[in-house]
Amino acid sequence: MTKRQSEIKDNIENRDRIHVVMFFLSYFFMALSVMILVWIVKIQVSYSVDDRVIGLFRPTEQKHIETPVRGRILATDGRPMAISAPLYDIYMDCTVRKQDYRDSGKDSLERVWRAKARDLATYLSNEFRDKSADAYAKAILEGRDKGARYLRIQRNIDLSTLQRVRTFPLFKEGPYTGGIIVEEHEERIYPYDSLARRVIGYVKEQNRIGLESSFDSELHGREGYEWRRVTDNKRWIRDLDSASVKVQNGNDIRTTLNVDFQDIADKALRNQINANEDIRAGICIIMEAKTGAIRAMVNLSRGETPQTTLWERENLVLREVGEQGSVMKTVTLLSLVEDGYVQSLEQTIPTNNGFVPNYRQDVHILDYQRETGRREISVMHGFEISSNYVFTYLAENYYGKQPQEMFDHIYSYRLGEAFDFDITGLGKPVVNRPGTPGWSKTTLGTTAYGYGLSVTPLHVATFYNGIANKGRMMKPYLVESIEKDGKVLRRFVPSALNESICSAATADTVTRALKAVVNTGTATRLKSAKLQVCGKTGTAQVVLTPQERKGSADPYHDTMGRKKNQGTFVGFFPADDPKYTILVTVYSYLSGKSFYGGTMPALAVREIVDKIYALDGDWAEVLHPVATVPDMKKTTEK
Amino acid sequence: MSVKSFFLSLRNIIRAIISGEFLLRIRVDKYYMHIMYLFLLMWATILLSLQVDKTLARVGDNKVALERLRIHHAEKEAALVKLHSASAAEIRLKQLGSEATLPSEPATIVKSK
Repeated sequence: MTKRQSEIKDNIENRDRIHVVMFFLSYFFMALSVMILVWIVKIQVSYSVDDRVIGLFRPTEQKHIETPVRGRILATDGRPMAISAPLYDIYMDCTVRKQDYRDSGKDSLERVWRAKARDLATYLSNEFRDKSADAYAKAILEGRDKGARYLRIQRNIDLSTLQRVRTFPLFKEGPYTGGIIVEEHEERIYPYDSLARRVIGYVKEQNRIGLESSFDSELHGREGYEWRRVTDNKRWIRDLDSASVKVQNGNDIRTTLNVDFQDIADKALRNQINANEDIRAGICIIMEAKTGAIRAMVNLSRGETPQTTLWERENLVLREVGEQGSVMKTVTLLSLVEDGYVQSLEQTIPTNNGFVPNYRQDVHILDYQRETGRREISVMHGFEISSNYVFTYLAENYYGKQPQEMFDHIYSYRLGEAFDFDITGLGKPVVNRPGTPGWSKTTLGTTAYGYGLSVTPLHVATFYNGIANKGRMMKPYLVESIEKDGKVLRRFVPSALNESICSAATADTVTRALKAVVNTGTATRLKSAKLQVCGKTGTAQVVLTPQERKGSADPYHDTMGRKKNQGTFVGFFPADDPKYTILVTVYSYLSGKSFYGGTMPALAVREIVDKIYALDGDWAEVLHPVATVPDMKKTTEK
Repeated sequence: MSVKSFFLSLRNIIRAIISGEFLLRIRVDKYYMHIMYLFLLMWATILLSLQVDKTLARVGDNKVALERLRIHHAEKEAALVKLHSASAAEIRLKQLGSEATLPSEPATIVKSK
């Protein structure tokens, strides 16, 4: 064979080998593609995932969200008024291990389980005392027969109770044998129950009120997360290789509220209005004169019907915008004295039979004329007896030509605006000043005695606090500081709404008039209070809604002559060196009776003042020792 | 390398492993210290990793314990504070049949010189 022939032969052999390889490869891939197609069809039609396979694909890491603990709301002395803690609901899977016991064919196992369930029922009955042991046993065993997987055992229990429940028969064997299911939910605990609940407020989904709402961003804190992985011992631990965000618990809010004052005010108000079903609501504000710090804010009200119990249902102090009646005469008096129109409280005006043109006659002046035989009345006496005529006359006489002058005062007393306050929703006052649709030729006079100008009780208390503070009108506030673990992060200092609403001399003059109201005027029930109180009473009729009026043309009376009253006392104490400003108002349902500021509100104020006097250390008697006790030890040693 | 020589080498390797001469034959003895060092490092890494896991598991347990203590503290604080009000004291005194009431006069303060 020549060399050429040999090469040709080798080439043919090589080619045949390649052909063979290619032949097998093509068959291999053909077979593989057929197999893949068969698998695809199988997966689409009848594939079920094996648990072992799932295990291989299960992630070894889990993201764990950490929810922050909501901050506490504290009273001024640090006592907690709202705390967060989880509560637990207990359910039971009554069917637990039932199928296993049946499959094993051992009836004894099922009998033992049922016997333990009866023991458990006894323990549950003793713990919760809401059902008999038989009732619990019946519920559990019937649940087992009927396949109940989520039988409610108890709701809203605390951790201590839960820990006891976990030691009960059956439950101590855990969820896979005992069937115990525990659900945790974060709850807000209010240790003082209804006390200041409207001020503290709450945050429940869309319903947000009070400090809980206004300071939610501070109280809430910030969620954190961490990735967790499972160890060889099947324990979940933090994965240090993954990113994490540390949870930040909410900050605490320290309020200006004094729990004792709040308690005293709440109780005093209840004492006055609880038994009287004509009273719809009662409110109280106690404000520190020098700072404007609110020490108590009570908002008690009944529901639609008088039979409902008194509860903190709505924040009337902030939201009840209304005509306040005679307590607003002080606004007029302060303006008149400050402008120099009233030089002295003893200054007199003619009585004119209680008649000012365009206004309703004041019949009290006729009584005054009859009793005294005089045809003139002093400003002081007009204020003491709360005469509408006197204030209409003074307003018309001095501000008639320049009504804007009086309204400028009203605005400077911040009675025309909803100033900034720690709780959102302070009602906006309605001022019928010249040029507004509500203005008429009688508006000036009616405003002078408390109608035509609608404000909230907080506005009134703030104004009187300005007088108590010698003209410096402080901004009322409820939050003292933001704290974290006892450390102050931010402190809110007292600030003034108006540095000077009047001179100190004007404030002293008006204070003298307010003292006279208590000594010889409409609030004599306060004369016997343990601290000298000065202030003003006010009785106002509330404008009725068209539904309440039932066709009556009179905005204040329905067709049966019934009306809605509000009686107020507002003032400060001790009169000569004011420490606190106080306002109490009661609101009536539609009623034929009248409720005056000098009755229930004044009595409530007296009770509050007497108790504060006893509790507040400022009025304590201080004894200074005049002699020293000899050291008996030295004497004995000698 | 032909298939035959491959299987021959494989047979030799297996025989050397069985007779304990494999590492000596491929002259790894000169890297003995390095191998031991590597082994030590790996052993230390595994041990440390297990210890870290153990510590983190304890941290988790302690966190749970602390959270329980916090809840207990909050519950007890709420229960105590509930009793710490003038009304609660008055009610309790009444329940106990005591004639004591809240003070009607302020306390007298004795100030030392």
